[in-house]
Amino acid sequence: MNYADWPLSAPVNITWEITHKCNLNCVHCLSSSSEASPGELNLTECKNIADQLAASGVFEINFGGGEPLLKDYFLPLLRYIHDKGIITCISTNGTVLTDEFIEFFTDNPQINIQVSLDGATAEVNDRIRGRGTFHRIIGGIERLAGKNISMSINTVVTSLNFHQLSDLKEMAASYGARLRVSRFRPSGRARESWDMLRLNSAQLRELSDWLGDDPTILTGDSFFSISQDGRRQLGLDMCGACKLTCCIDPCGFVYPCAFMQEREFCGGNLRETLFEDIWNESTSFLCFRQLEPESCRSCFRFNKCRGGCPAVAYFVGCDLNSPDPECLANWSREALSKK
Amino acid sequence: MYRLADNVRVRKESWGLLFYSPPRHKVCFVRSGNWLSPDSLAGEWTVAGLAEGVAARTGTPAEAVERSLEKMTGQLINSRMVVDELR
Repeated sequence: MNYADWPLSAPVNITWEITHKCNLNCVHCLSSSSEASPGELNLTECKNIADQLAASGVFEINFGGGEPLLKDYFLPLLRYIHDKGIITCISTNGTVLTDEFIEFFTDNPQINIQVSLDGATAEVNDRIRGRGTFHRIIGGIERLAGKNISMSINTVVTSLNFHQLSDLKEMAASYGARLRVSRFRPSGRARESWDMLRLNSAQLRELSDWLGDDPTILTGDSFFSISQDGRRQLGLDMCGACKLTCCIDPCGFVYPCAFMQEREFCGGNLRETLFEDIWNESTSFLCFRQLEPESCRSCFRFNKCRGGCPAVAYFVGCDLNSPDPECLANWSREALSKK
Repeated sequence: MYRLADNVRVRKESWGLLFYSPPRHKVCFVRSGNWLSPDSLAGEWTVAGLAEGVAARTGTPAEAVERSLEKMTGQLINSRMVVDELR
């Protein structure tokens, strides 16, 4: 399917990084979060944006950051957004849950919680998310479990935790949650840890097989470049940046996706421009919708992945028009060349 | 009788209807033009009932509309956006 044939009047879902403030300092953080950025949006501005998103028909907002639960007005904003009929997904590190948040999440059909955990043991998780975090995260998960809260445990797959994925799946199930795995991409602080934490081609191939064999594992759209045909039916199956989704940063700047928060890709700022105008008219977004890496067009999988993830291609090769370096077809070529 | 599957959302687009299943992050595009709106699919409905409304509004022969909507409904059932209440 070519999304260009189905132009959308608005995104299906939006990633909204509500703050850059975070109490952790994960080595793979896609937005290099730690301190709040100067000039983050206030509640009135956020409500105005929510009004625009609701009017344009956005179905879902995925809140991240930073740690969204540290934003002082996060709960009132969630209530406001839910009243507009938009459902929300909250990506949290699970270490700053308050009784008030847990009460709000309980029995709330408009909320999905994703708790980030990057290892099935403290030894592995804490190398990525910081010393002592494993037990604090598990403590948060235990507080959420058993309360009719839609919850998944989200793991960014790296060379450190790759061998623990089955354990993480079991651990999630023990809390009534599902495992959601995300792709490790070289943006934010992950650029510095990319060479150390990225999967090698054999591991990527093994991961592809593992995901193909287990439809219960959630992936969002992370792995479209390595997804096998059976898996592709389960969710978004190619890059949705500027076609199905986009990202709002804590200061109101709008980007193609959370992994492409570079000034040159910015579509505009919501303090100055209406969301609708950014989505429909910004040069950056129009350009992204036409993105088709030249070298991928003759590939047998082109209609399936359309070149894969532009963010990985850009940050690894400094070229948006280069193919995703972790794509399945590249492995096939590699395997053929070795024969 | 059919109805939208739990949690499925629908939106009108210039080319037809966009369906979204949040838990699965799954979208489904239906090129229905102006035949249907999200309100058409609220609650329970039948293909014949939908077809009758579309035929009356557009002047398109009801049989042709019904054939087309049956195909659409089958596609939506296969993608788990719509459920058959009789099953």
